[in-house]
Amino acid sequence: MKSRASSQQRKPASAALLSALVLAACVAPGTGCVDVPAEGAQPKLGTHVGDWRDEVIYQVLIDRFANGDVNNDYGVRPGHLARFQGGDWRGLTDHLDYIKELGVTTLWISPIVKNVETDADVDSYHGYWAQDLSQLNPHFGDIADLRRLTSRAHDMGLKVVLDIVTNHMGQVFYYDTNLNGNPDIYIGGSGALPVVSSRSDLSRITEYDPDWDPKGVQAFTSLGPAGRAPLIFFQDPSINRVPPPGLLGTARAYHGFGRILDYDDEKQRTLGDFPGGLKDVATELPEVRDEMIDLYTRWVELVDLDGFRIDTVKHVEYEFWTEFGTRVRERLLRQNKNRFLMFGEAFDGNDQLLGSYTQEGMLDSVFYFSQHYQVFRDVFMRAPMENEQKGTEQIASLWAQRQKNYRNEAQPNGIGVAPSRALVNFMDNHDVARFLFEAQNDKDVLRNALVLLMTEEGIPCLYYGTEQDFAGGNDPANREVLWETGFATSGETFRHFAKLARTRASYEALRRGDTNVVWSSSHVGGEEDAGIIAYERTGGDAGDAYALVVINTNNRKDSATAEGNEVMKLGAGARGTLVDVLDPERKTYPVPASGELRVTVPKQRAMILVPEGSVKD
Amino acid sequence: MRLTIISMLAAATALAMALPASAQPPPPPATGPVPSAEPPPRADAPLSSDTSAPSVPGGAPSASRDPGRVEPTEVTKGQDAMRTVKEAPQTHEGHFEFGSYGRVYAASDLRGGLGRGTNVVAFGPRIVDEGSYAELELRREDKFNDKVKSRIVATLALFPPFFHFTGKPEQAIGVRNLYAQGTYDKATIWAGSRMYRGDDIYLLNWWPLDNQNTVGGGVGGPVYRAEDGSQETILQGHVGQQRLDNPYQFQQIPVVAPIGFGTVDVTKLDRPRTIETFKATHLVRPGGGPAGFKAILYGELHQLAAGVFRDPLTNVDRGLPNDSGWMLGSQLTYFTGKRDTFASLVMRHARGIAAYDPLAVPITFALDRTVSGASETQVAASGNFETDVFSVMAAGYVRFFRDGSPGETSTQKYDEGALVARPNVFFGEHFGLSVEGSYQQRRIAIQNPNGDGPLTASVFKAGVIPYFSPAGRGSFKRPQIRLLYVASFRDSGTRGLYPLEDVFAQRSVEHFAGVGAEWWFNSSSYP
Repeated sequence: MKSRASSQQRKPASAALLSALVLAACVAPGTGCVDVPAEGAQPKLGTHVGDWRDEVIYQVLIDRFANGDVNNDYGVRPGHLARFQGGDWRGLTDHLDYIKELGVTTLWISPIVKNVETDADVDSYHGYWAQDLSQLNPHFGDIADLRRLTSRAHDMGLKVVLDIVTNHMGQVFYYDTNLNGNPDIYIGGSGALPVVSSRSDLSRITEYDPDWDPKGVQAFTSLGPAGRAPLIFFQDPSINRVPPPGLLGTARAYHGFGRILDYDDEKQRTLGDFPGGLKDVATELPEVRDEMIDLYTRWVELVDLDGFRIDTVKHVEYEFWTEFGTRVRERLLRQNKNRFLMFGEAFDGNDQLLGSYTQEGMLDSVFYFSQHYQVFRDVFMRAPMENEQKGTEQIASLWAQRQKNYRNEAQPNGIGVAPSRALVNFMDNHDVARFLFEAQNDKDVLRNALVLLMTEEGIPCLYYGTEQDFAGGNDPANREVLWETGFATSGETFRHFAKLARTRASYEALRRGDTNVVWSSSHVGGEEDAGIIAYERTGGDAGDAYALVVINTNNRKDSATAEGNEVMKLGAGARGTLVDVLDPERKTYPVPASGELRVTVPKQRAMILVPEGSVKD
Repeated sequence: MRLTIISMLAAATALAMALPASAQPPPPPATGPVPSAEPPPRADAPLSSDTSAPSVPGGAPSASRDPGRVEPTEVTKGQDAMRTVKEAPQTHEGHFEFGSYGRVYAASDLRGGLGRGTNVVAFGPRIVDEGSYAELELRREDKFNDKVKSRIVATLALFPPFFHFTGKPEQAIGVRNLYAQGTYDKATIWAGSRMYRGDDIYLLNWWPLDNQNTVGGGVGGPVYRAEDGSQETILQGHVGQQRLDNPYQFQQIPVVAPIGFGTVDVTKLDRPRTIETFKATHLVRPGGGPAGFKAILYGELHQLAAGVFRDPLTNVDRGLPNDSGWMLGSQLTYFTGKRDTFASLVMRHARGIAAYDPLAVPITFALDRTVSGASETQVAASGNFETDVFSVMAAGYVRFFRDGSPGETSTQKYDEGALVARPNVFFGEHFGLSVEGSYQQRRIAIQNPNGDGPLTASVFKAGVIPYFSPAGRGSFKRPQIRLLYVASFRDSGTRGLYPLEDVFAQRSVEHFAGVGAEWWFNSSSYP
């Protein structure tokens, strides 16, 4: 080693002379040698988070947020949302002031690794079609750009969470079911309606994304079955559809059972390919686990990330999450990175299923998808439709299951907060239609739902563009281009959310207090309390701090925290006078010694009440 | 509109400076090919101007190096660079001339493959990388009286591969010169398509100060000349255009034919780059002897109009803003006038679109899609020294290129440089042995994957060149028929510039062993 070092120092005389010339020229006025910015250098890992419940996550689809460098606009098709639009990490970095003004504190950025570029005339602008987990996606910038993002974010008190996928890779191979060496799609039959005499069923067989087969996708010949279909890796460098490097470029790293047809079948769910031909990785293999843990943790080390948002966790076996969670935490802990957040996405309304991924050693949190359906969809989005709206008792009922369905102790070496208290709350995201789309573009409903999002227990997560009243339908219409708004900060929803963020930051009870639902109702019609949900946030890690949130989810009438003689009764922490800090006039509400409080809330409005003595400007 | 006015003013200024050019500035030109397509694309470097052969600063005069010069066959022979046109008969004289420059190589990498270029800088040593190339020039020279002469030049360039290599009767041919030039007394004016350039650095196959390849016209001539011939000042100007067949400058789209069926093509984007050049040359020959100095001040203006192109991916029209740039450079050369001995120093700085070679287009841009933030600064030195049995050529340069992209990191932001020396020993009148050593390095403003700091790529080359020179001794005597062996030692940064599938990503040493020939004679572009 020593001799090698010394030999490197023995540069030829010409090299020394040239270096001297370059250095001399570098100091000439107006010149200067090239360098990469200090922010682009390898960061020293650190812990940037105290309590994740103090954070407000902002989900950014990098391709759609801001275009900071037109030179990576490869294949961009402006206006076509299934194609690249040109956003990049530099664009996001350049607009961190916008992020700060909005009041969010953590960026969840879409996947960063190199993808298969396009498939079936749809681009991988979202980043979920991984081809090489060790390389960055050049559409979004280079390592210096990414480090600059995290560095500047940390300087501004923001954190960065990376979206990762361990369940599958992009469409990197096909199943050669007819053994002809070509990826075929067969479409047969007329598909005509039954009234047509010559009717024949329409059938479609694709070697790109064949249906689930419990024996593994089978090959066939004219003489009959021929065993498992070989997995043939594509060689199409024009769209980066080439074998992944290393182990993930071999057939043994994949299950090969074909596309999931029945999501309730656990075997299909964990072994089947994800729709779209996304190939399911054999995560039960120790060497595959090693690869996933190493490749993804490496990005944390290279960029100083603060957490992982993990895609499609319900499609990976539980044992993987125990090992992944434990080993990632231990490896980062050795490098002084604590409280590294790992939260998973299980696209499922089954609350028990969601909670199952927070068992010991697994994830710190999950997306609260059951709440998305039972609360934000049923109670809020459907508020404009009286016949479809559900009462707020559904909220109370769901929340009551938290302690039961989710782990109540912090994960070992985890974020220090129990999963049941750190669920990631969200109204919508890139996989579902936007809130306003479902709520018939009723912005009052949206703003009211935001109050719940920002005052309930857990970690709020806002999908980019919500603050700009984006109202796109399902994918990709829900992935609008943000820069077309001019990053306006004067809109009513933007200002409303920013105020909620300030309020949340100001009152510890809203962030760390336990939840005590003091009023909920099954009523959605003309009843006195129709649409009311009221809950206290106090105790727990918030100590004596207190806040009361009252929300009227009814779209048609003012409602009260009472029905007949039955009046909302508050806990012991609510005595004296409460002040509505959401109200610009700071209206006050005296609480009698009995603790009973009747307040009337206008339709689709809310109150955040705190003790008069704790009001902050 | 503003650009148009600037162009017209520039052209008018150039024409106003028109004065005769009887004296030929000593050191002339040669050319540099684009290193074959191995390293990453260099939008800033000339991609297709690669062509020619060297000129010999301070060396034997050539009738045709200078645009203001005519009739090479009538030039006074000898070392007097202040030579004048001889007395000519009053009757019309006219004749055809044929000239050529060329080089052809065959080489092995000693591993069963072809020898391959290894440069990582824009203007690396020509050895190994220059490749085969040839020009065939047909020229008509006329003298109508003592004051009025003309020349018509047509130069065809042949680009490899050639028929005997591929077996295909296909040949890439480029028109490098196609212009007419007239001289009235001392003033010369020309128009057409032309290589229009100054002195080269032979070892780097590069014109470090001025190298225009445009369609346009120019004027020139001496504005001052000392009575004893010891000093002379020459002014030259030129206006030229290029509209490369690239969506950056030119696009045609099919539209429905206005009459009948089918489609017709219409030009959607049409924005040539207009370039004005100005050059002032001052020659000093103390005592009227062969030795002397040449000082040059040179400048360029570049304009590119705004335009609209149709995005082929979306079929939506998109605007391209106008762009402009300027370049200012200088050269100082000392020449002995004997045995092609000289030393030369060139400096130049360019901004905006002028930082990019006119035969290339930018590939990175600012957010407004201009290159207004781009710059190029370079310093180059070269020289040749010869005695009866020994000679040495040497050259070097440093160059700082910055694109206009907003990022601090970019493959188009880099520093680079090269040093090369070629000592030579003559054996008898017609044989010689040259050895060449060189070092080149490029520092690119992207993160070094193996550590912090920019990515640095460097190559060291060493080679030996025994040759036969039928024209006699001299570094610039041609033809020269050579054997050639060069080893290139490539560091990890250099290897990292190539995709893994390329053996150049794996191999640290490359061989180039072969045979080749180089010639030039009676060419208007070369001595």
